[in-house]
Amino acid sequence: MNVTRRDFLKASAAITGALALKVSGLMELQKAMAGGANAPPVIWLQGQGCTGCSVSLLNSTYYMTIDQLLIDTLDLKFHPTVMAAAGEMAVEAAETARNADGGYVLVIEGAIPAGANGDYCHIWPGTTMLDALESFAPNANVILSVGTCACYGGMSAGKPNPTDAMGVEDALDYLGLLKNLQATVINIPGCPAHPDWIVGTVAALLAGETPELDNDGRPEEFFGTYVHKRCPNRGLGHKAHVLSDAGCLAGLGCKGQQTHADCPLRKWNAGWAKNLPGQPAEPLAEVKNWCIGARNPCQGCTEPDFPDGMSPFYNL
Amino acid sequence: MATTITIDPLTRIEGHLAIEVTVDSGVVTNAKSSGTMFRGFEMMLQGRDPLDAPHYTQRICGVCPISHGMASCLNLEDAFGVVVPDNGRILRNLVLGANFVMSHILHFYHLAALDYINLDDTIVKDMAPWDPNYVTDDMVTGDTAVALVGHYVQALAMRRKAHQMAAIFGGKLPCAPSFVPGGCTEVVTQDKIDDFRTLLAEQRTFIDGTYIPDVLTVAGAFSEYFGIGVGCGNLLAYGVFDLTDGSKLLARGRCNTQLALDTVDPGKIIEYVAHSKYRDNEGKNPADGVTQPKADKPDAYSWLKAPRYDGQVYEVGPLARMAVNYLSGDPTAVALINGVLTDPQLGGSEEEPLPISVLFSVLGRHAARALEAKLVADAMGGTADDEDDNGWLGELVVGEPVYSESDIPRDASGIGLTEAPRGALGHWIDIKRRRIDRYQVVTPTNWNASPKDDLGQMGPIEQALIGTPVANTEQPVEVLRVVHSFDPCLACSVHMLRPGKNKPEVVVHTRPSI
Repeated sequence: MNVTRRDFLKASAAITGALALKVSGLMELQKAMAGGANAPPVIWLQGQGCTGCSVSLLNSTYYMTIDQLLIDTLDLKFHPTVMAAAGEMAVEAAETARNADGGYVLVIEGAIPAGANGDYCHIWPGTTMLDALESFAPNANVILSVGTCACYGGMSAGKPNPTDAMGVEDALDYLGLLKNLQATVINIPGCPAHPDWIVGTVAALLAGETPELDNDGRPEEFFGTYVHKRCPNRGLGHKAHVLSDAGCLAGLGCKGQQTHADCPLRKWNAGWAKNLPGQPAEPLAEVKNWCIGARNPCQGCTEPDFPDGMSPFYNL
Repeated sequence: MATTITIDPLTRIEGHLAIEVTVDSGVVTNAKSSGTMFRGFEMMLQGRDPLDAPHYTQRICGVCPISHGMASCLNLEDAFGVVVPDNGRILRNLVLGANFVMSHILHFYHLAALDYINLDDTIVKDMAPWDPNYVTDDMVTGDTAVALVGHYVQALAMRRKAHQMAAIFGGKLPCAPSFVPGGCTEVVTQDKIDDFRTLLAEQRTFIDGTYIPDVLTVAGAFSEYFGIGVGCGNLLAYGVFDLTDGSKLLARGRCNTQLALDTVDPGKIIEYVAHSKYRDNEGKNPADGVTQPKADKPDAYSWLKAPRYDGQVYEVGPLARMAVNYLSGDPTAVALINGVLTDPQLGGSEEEPLPISVLFSVLGRHAARALEAKLVADAMGGTADDEDDNGWLGELVVGEPVYSESDIPRDASGIGLTEAPRGALGHWIDIKRRRIDRYQVVTPTNWNASPKDDLGQMGPIEQALIGTPVANTEQPVEVLRVVHSFDPCLACSVHMLRPGKNKPEVVVHTRPSI
């Protein structure tokens, strides 16, 4: 669909603050919008997963809410959890978008099992998730791996990994497609991924930017710093000895020192905080929480070796 | 002439589901429900630290993670022999209750409602992902459609705020880290109680003023669906939300179309595998089952096993819970359900209420779900009429413990039975040398979307599809309406691989007609 300049500026106005895009990116976006640019089509495929990343995306508030994202910003051609069409009609929608000129954003949620020639995950008749990746990756302009399962295998690949589940880049390599891939693959891990990490990356792409990625393919903006470095429990001198105690959780198994994420700053499940005409801030917008805030040790869910390398989660 | 059609992917559910129906003279005469994805959580859990279980199992499902967290904690608490302090029990109930509300709102508006609405008069006309869609003559149009779509958008914010509410004590949603065996890691403060209460009030206003009325509006416009999707006629609930007096807000029990109420003995659950892709030749109770996957097993068409109770097919979900409460005489459930049965919009009245049998239907499931959302939300906050009743929030005590420490026993077994929004959920554990030796999960969608069992009995969704009229096999929206009424969650039901000593044999998978 067309995104009107006014609509996107409304959304862009939300993209300010210490954790947001560089100003130059926004100006590029405004230029592009003035030129009547269209929102790119998005094809969202689910492999071996739990839909938690999609549910998390529905919780988006920092940049924009999910209705702003779906109605005003993106052209979501295929998403099995929310799309109206079912069966053949749905498959056709995905395949038509794949074959159209101009490319698309391919989003992968969930891992891709290579075991038994991909038979542990069929997404529609005659098509395994492995088949789907093979068929949809080549024409994509950018591939977003959303959630740790899609990035690195995650929970779906937990030892002994009976289905040979793997993340997108490994699966593309398995298919022989990684070397000559036209698209950039961006890894947005988390179990689930935070909605801001997903929407913030999408917003950067729409502004014509390619986010700077770390060695694990993750946007530096969200994953550039260890949880521990910004944890409010640091330097308090007080350690928790028993679960539900206040204080540093390092002694109870916290993986914050090994985990890259901005959770201490951003936290989770905040309300809508922007004051826009027609959409004022919610009264309890600042009510939010996070794992360590709830006195539970960080589980390291954004890291490539989650969960096996982070287990056991506790050291009680 | 009979036509066989397959809806794959069956969208607006959680996970990967394929539905095949045979339509003969405009009516469904055969149905097969098939889960098409598999991960192997149970193999993953084997050998691990039991304390990891609540966090691993929450990742079985991103829509109902809290239910798995609860089941797993109850399971471990049973095995460890630890008693949860009141605050901890209530906090977990609040997080689970908030997720029930979130899930039910999500289900009606964002998963089910599009089956009933023609979007041509609305702001999302011709807009992906709402387009393309089936368009049938019976769909609501005009002002009703516009209102429902407006509420759909409003419901996106409401379910997000239900998660915000849940995170106050859960830590983050989806996948709440604060659920641990022994209680909860998050603590009680007055600010948190007040914030939860404020967000809850908004949820209750939405449920009472928008969600329930919208369900009744759709029911009024599609009243024939009180007689479609009857299903197996047997309902089962483990019960959920343990209260201070030892009872459960939603009771454990079984009932059926004869309105006979009965007890539940977990020992009578058998998972059959004749049509399931596992190597076993006979069904087993989850505490004993040992099987291996076999993708090319003859006559097998699903990765789901077929759980049955005492050899019979049982449906689980909000309908089962509300019906058990109704027949148990719970005044709240009785009033809520009688309110529906006497609603003039549905053709009922005080003098001539609709018969109870209408609940065993597509619309019965939607109505039960909406009423349950109200029942749970009201219990969390207390009765508006009674100043002394502040609900579960009113029972929290700032400063009291939320967690009881315990040691992991060397060898033990446990069972944790609770309810997910979609129905009865059970976790079973055997611990040996302080590690998980066996971990079993039987989910609600295992029950509801199960294939045929060894006795040839179809699963609940399959049975509910039989007799459904299909006007146009190119636009089988009636099939979607029946399946969606169960709120299927397939990630939950296809995660299990019964532990064998070896890795599953890799066999060439020949996919049958589904």
